[in-house]
Amino acid sequence: MRSTADPQQALSELASAQPGSGLACVGFGLRVPHYDSILSHGLVADFAEVVSENFLGRGGRAFSVLERVRSDMPVALHGVSLSIGGTDPLRDTYLTELSELATRIEAFSVSDHLCFGTFGGHYAHDLWPLPYTEEAISHVVERVQKVQDRLGRRLLLENVSSYVEYRASTLEEWQFLSEVVTRADAGILLDLNNVYVSAENHGFSALSYLRALPRDRVQQIHLAGHSDAGGYLFDDHGSAVSAVVWQLYQESIELFGALPTIVEWDERLPELSVLEAEADHARALSKARLAARHEAAP
Amino acid sequence: MNLAELEQYFARAATSGTGPLPELDRVFVGSERLSATDRLAIYNRGYFYRLLDALASVFSQTKRLLGDSDFERLGLAYLARHPSDHPAVERVGRSFAEYLRGVGTPTLVVDVASLEWARLSALVAPNPASVATVNRIDLGAFPRARLHFVPSLHFLELDPRALLAFADADSATDQCATNAAQPLCGVAVWRTRHMVVHQSLIAAEWRALVNAAAGATVQQICAFFETGSEPDAVQQAFQVLSRWFAREWLEAVIASEP
Repeated sequence: MRSTADPQQALSELASAQPGSGLACVGFGLRVPHYDSILSHGLVADFAEVVSENFLGRGGRAFSVLERVRSDMPVALHGVSLSIGGTDPLRDTYLTELSELATRIEAFSVSDHLCFGTFGGHYAHDLWPLPYTEEAISHVVERVQKVQDRLGRRLLLENVSSYVEYRASTLEEWQFLSEVVTRADAGILLDLNNVYVSAENHGFSALSYLRALPRDRVQQIHLAGHSDAGGYLFDDHGSAVSAVVWQLYQESIELFGALPTIVEWDERLPELSVLEAEADHARALSKARLAARHEAAP
Repeated sequence: MNLAELEQYFARAATSGTGPLPELDRVFVGSERLSATDRLAIYNRGYFYRLLDALASVFSQTKRLLGDSDFERLGLAYLARHPSDHPAVERVGRSFAEYLRGVGTPTLVVDVASLEWARLSALVAPNPASVATVNRIDLGAFPRARLHFVPSLHFLELDPRALLAFADADSATDQCATNAAQPLCGVAVWRTRHMVVHQSLIAAEWRALVNAAAGATVQQICAFFETGSEPDAVQQAFQVLSRWFAREWLEAVIASEP
């Protein structure tokens, strides 16, 4: 674990962390209850991820925390309200503020979810699943391209966990995700917990999902916990990463290399040290897997 | 159904407070383990309780006064009528105080809700571009100058008992709260460093602040302190304006044409 002395150098390292590069950069998502600790003691990680909406157009303590963290390490912006699959118009003010924030903090990456979350001019504040159809692909691709033009950079799209599927879907989720990012020239933020939760809820193979993704598009990994709600798995980000998701993480390193990885925790948030321990574990797994591969190489 | 129709149908199912929609099974896939209705119910519960949690985090004192059960009942009814219109979930309570007023909630509770909303607004306000300081004032132009306030400064009139009710939980003391006999009390809410604070104002300061924010000149502001005794008026105006600078309420002092 390290606190980067030179954030510009760290940014450069992260940006070059392509599949197979051997770098194992791990951080975690910053949450409000950790702000006091961060302002007092700083943060120990390779990079950090913040929820974009917590900082758009805002000042005060939240922004001081962001500046403090950014002075120590690269920061990734992760949004929840873009509604890239929504049929409401993209909001100009939102895109302007997101672009300004990304520029101001020299964001390492900008991501959001492959879903919709707006209806009739309102926000659901949830990540609602899309139907996996050709019409939806065309719609999302067009909006991703608009967003990327506004941001002047590639957008990463995260797969969401889901509890229901549409009868209208003509594609599997992984096919839909692959088509969208390929046609839009976007990247994938692969949430392994979400893959596992959806696989269990809908009865598909999580491993097959990973193997079907275009390897050059997967650029970041999310790890989180879930709970068993009796009859289905619930993606609550309220516990440690499960053993089966750690297994998927090791598989993902085989498939995509050691990618920048974020540990997320939202509900029943523990002390920062618990997240740091999860990040340590991810880093150790990543290094061990790569070392084993290196030894096995002729 | 096309994409837009499917999304509208999903949104209706996920945000409906009146139970499952017809034809759910024709739109969504169910299984023996979990029917389509059960699956949509996960989203429906998530929608309302996520927003209710957001309301409770902003309106914690309002919730304390209403009690858990009434807060949940009123909160859910509010959310059904006022879906979020802001990308940040914490802003879903923008009209909550007005809603409470409209359904006959006691004024004390409505005013605590208004105060809590003002405090949230101060907390999330952008940083000012600058902070005006006394030593940069052009004294010759000062009487005709207009004052531009920092974004975090909010002000509202409240039942003084609302400040007492808030202070019960906050252990804050407030001058106005000790004079609960007066019908309404002007209150300023602002952010200082990383903390949000609120303070009741004397009547003359309240009138001066409201008018200053509406564009009155410093000279016009000072007129609100006239009491018949010129030395007292000058002293009071000076104290109030000095306090505004000291509290960093002023983003800029803008000179006007003579």
